[in-house]
Amino acid sequence: MSVRTAVVLAAGEGTRLRPLTRNRPKPMLPAANRPILEYVFDALIEAGIDRIAVVVGYKRDRVQDHFGPSYRGVTLSYVAQEKQLGSGHALQQARSDVSGPVLVVNGDRLIDGRTVRSVIDHFETDPTTPALAVLERSDASHYGAVDLRDGDLVSIVEKPDTDEYRLINGGIYAFPETIFDEIEATPRADGELALPDTIARLIERDRVRAVETDGMWVDATYPWDLLTVAREVLARGRVTETKLDDGVWVADSAHVHEDATLQAPVVVGPDCEIGAGTVLGPNTALGDNVTVGANATVQNTVLDVDTRVDAGATLVDTITGQDVTLGVETVVPGGPADVQVGTDVFEKQDLGAVFADRSRTRGNVSVSPGTLVGPAATLHTGVHAFGQIDEGAEVVR
Amino acid sequence: MCGIIGCVGRREETLDVLVHGLSKLEYRGYDSAGVALGGDGSGVSVAKRAGEIDDLRAKLDETTLDGAVGIGHTRWSTHGPPTDENAHPHQDCTGDVAVVHNGIIENYQTIRDELVAAGHTFESDTDTEVVPHLIEEALADGADPMAALRSAVDRLDGSFAIATVVAGTEAVFVARNDSPLVLGLDDSESPRDSDSASGGQPRATYLASDVPAFRDYTDKVVYLADGEFARLDGEGWTVTDDAGDPVEKEIDTVAWDAEETGKSGYDHFMLKEIHEQPRALRQCLRGRVDELSGSVDIEDLGDLSPTGVQFVACGTSYHAALYGAQLFRQAGIPAQTFLASEYATSPPPIGDALVVGVTQSGETADTLSALREAHHRGARTLAVTNTVGSTAARECDHALYIRAGPEIGVAASKTFASQLGALNLLALGTAPVTDARDTIAALRDLPGQVQELLDTSTAAAVAERYQDAEAYFFIGRGHQHPVALEGALKMKEITYKHAEGFAAGELKHGPLALVTENTPVFAVVTGDGEKARKTVGNVKEVEARDAPVVAITDGQSDVDRYADSVLQIPETHASAAAVLANVQLQLVSYYTAKGLGRSIDKPRNLAKSVTVE
Repeated sequence: MSVRTAVVLAAGEGTRLRPLTRNRPKPMLPAANRPILEYVFDALIEAGIDRIAVVVGYKRDRVQDHFGPSYRGVTLSYVAQEKQLGSGHALQQARSDVSGPVLVVNGDRLIDGRTVRSVIDHFETDPTTPALAVLERSDASHYGAVDLRDGDLVSIVEKPDTDEYRLINGGIYAFPETIFDEIEATPRADGELALPDTIARLIERDRVRAVETDGMWVDATYPWDLLTVAREVLARGRVTETKLDDGVWVADSAHVHEDATLQAPVVVGPDCEIGAGTVLGPNTALGDNVTVGANATVQNTVLDVDTRVDAGATLVDTITGQDVTLGVETVVPGGPADVQVGTDVFEKQDLGAVFADRSRTRGNVSVSPGTLVGPAATLHTGVHAFGQIDEGAEVVR
Repeated sequence: MCGIIGCVGRREETLDVLVHGLSKLEYRGYDSAGVALGGDGSGVSVAKRAGEIDDLRAKLDETTLDGAVGIGHTRWSTHGPPTDENAHPHQDCTGDVAVVHNGIIENYQTIRDELVAAGHTFESDTDTEVVPHLIEEALADGADPMAALRSAVDRLDGSFAIATVVAGTEAVFVARNDSPLVLGLDDSESPRDSDSASGGQPRATYLASDVPAFRDYTDKVVYLADGEFARLDGEGWTVTDDAGDPVEKEIDTVAWDAEETGKSGYDHFMLKEIHEQPRALRQCLRGRVDELSGSVDIEDLGDLSPTGVQFVACGTSYHAALYGAQLFRQAGIPAQTFLASEYATSPPPIGDALVVGVTQSGETADTLSALREAHHRGARTLAVTNTVGSTAARECDHALYIRAGPEIGVAASKTFASQLGALNLLALGTAPVTDARDTIAALRDLPGQVQELLDTSTAAAVAERYQDAEAYFFIGRGHQHPVALEGALKMKEITYKHAEGFAAGELKHGPLALVTENTPVFAVVTGDGEKARKTVGNVKEVEARDAPVVAITDGQSDVDRYADSVLQIPETHASAAAVLANVQLQLVSYYTAKGLGRSIDKPRNLAKSVTVE
């Protein structure tokens, strides 16, 4: 029985990516200049899936608004998970949308169609035994780590304390329809139903097959990871805009002044306007309707939808959310820096600054490496900003 | 005002195709529905029922219909109440002819009297029923079905799109005059001659009042013109003119994705469409503006250079047109806005003004009449519409598309925003301005600012607070005057509550008598100039009468001091603020209607595009 239906889990916020998740869930954050979830859908469609149920929860209208009722001709149905009570609980919400075997994927990581296809192929040779993708990661202890014997899973441990593990659960599963009963029968831990808990039970009683893959698998844990993700997407050329040159993609509807310079790799999204004398790139991605005035310098940077950068700004290692306005001569000189998130400090991160949705700088603002500017915060003229700036804050000199 | 569907070549699937098509056309009217099947070896069988499509489905579950071709109809009453008898299809005395019709037959009473005198028996109160009886007469005189339809249509005055099936013939015959009708061609097996009138042997052929009815099966369409007839049968399709000569028709491809007509996780199309406004505005502006050089490029309009502009429109489009005329007047070009139904029957002197019809569907009968009247008097005409290939787009000298994508909710939401966007482009592109850069920047900021409102609006709480009010009033000045009118129209349409919009200064000249503590007043106040100051003065007058005040404001004036509730919008250029204020009012109406349990997407007595005058 072939697997044609997928359930995509896209209900969680991704709290470690705050403040960028203020208005949307992690799957809607940009990987270069498209939401992460688009890459997930692309992979599913390439693998032959023709029906997708999306479990949505946190800020679900943003997922629904972006994709609407279908994506690339494949029907999307939306299932609400009102409270985020774990991945198993999320999958259960889609039960009435599924008949027969089902592919389940996390919606917040970049994957490719080849990986999905190989999980489906393995599963279809024995469609009563669940199969899941596993891959090698040096930082396996940060994820759901797994151990194998003869191609079968023998253990699955969330964020183990040891460094012994080298393989992780890739979050791509193929299940027979009985999975729903198995989740139902799994005891809740702290009120939550996690899919790995159900898998751990299945391992004890029966078999779960592991499908080793070396396909694309890119995750963002913290805001600054979006820079690495963009670099990886650009390096792989997984860009939909028109290719003008090696590593240079510009949407047909964008206006790039003839005296602007695009340094590969760089992607410029639809409706963007780039002024004279501006240098974009390398490793730079602009979402829809971004405006960069004249004589600006933007490198190693992700500018999300509707961002406005005024003349003469310098942005290095910078991430903006949506509808951010950076005034004339705003300077973000770039990392490395020690970044403080809450009470944790992350040392030597290549981060210039994160500007959350609708934050703005007036003119002549300089921003120290590793600064996190909260949603709708304003840095007034002449400010030198550093550290964490709260949502809605007005910073004056 | 109704929806028509027809289908040839789907054999035993015909009934499913018809019912599915009707469900997609329900926005055109929904007080009764019916289908008729016919074919080679069979008579004509009919099932119809007052109520929604689901009532028809229930009826079909207990009825067996035979036939390889068919027609269907969803009705919005013009002649006779919604009853089983008045539902279409209508039949002749023999039961061999079934007809569905959209439009109004003005001389039906005369014809009906004649037919009754000749012994025909009528079962309904409708104007439509004369058509099958006229066809019956012609068939009895030995005419073939096509000739019989022609002779019937010859007798009719008024507007119509008619489709008919006749016993013993595996074909559907159609005629069009002043009511929309489009053919759909599923040529998944290659056509014999794809661009000729009589060519093609498509796998299946469809007809409908609007593309969504068959968009799930094909994107290849042929738009019929007034006075044209068509025959759809197993051989394909032929279009002929009123003299019976073949007409060469162009085959168009429609861009809309059939799936775009789903609700994508929302309870109502209206909320989905409110949320689609950032995207709709992006599409409206795409490729048409260049902010850094301050230029606007609207394709295909050529050099209009109007010395005067007259807008004609109805309903929400009329409010957009009021705003459009303001934009032209600000640019120094005399401009006026007329209700299309009035303009058509009492037109003003036109001079050399450009006449601009604003119509979402491009099929609004009143607006088409006004445009035709202007054309008849030698005026240049321009359609501002959402529908490529619509009658307005084809008949006018120029068309400017607002590119909002399909709108299914009967109450217009995103198309109003897109109309305002497109009218800004029209004004910038045709009227002289020294520097358009600020306005273009403001337009380009709109998608992000509308998203901000969608993320942050407290309209749901405001709606709940005033849900039990006796009436709602809306006031604004300048660009916010049309917004006040539109806010009131939306409230009326979907909540069924009394709501009125006024120019803020007019309130004290009469309407203030209606203001009480149970009538919230929504005051749209943006900027800090004279208009804002004066509107704040009007707000104080209202407050003194104990009416609750809801201020929709960008925070530049001190109106919030006098308001009981505030709905904030981002600060922007005066030309763009109207779009933002309107989003807040849309949300207030939506949540009020939701709280009251109204049928938001299909308000009582209303239909999406009104193709009757």
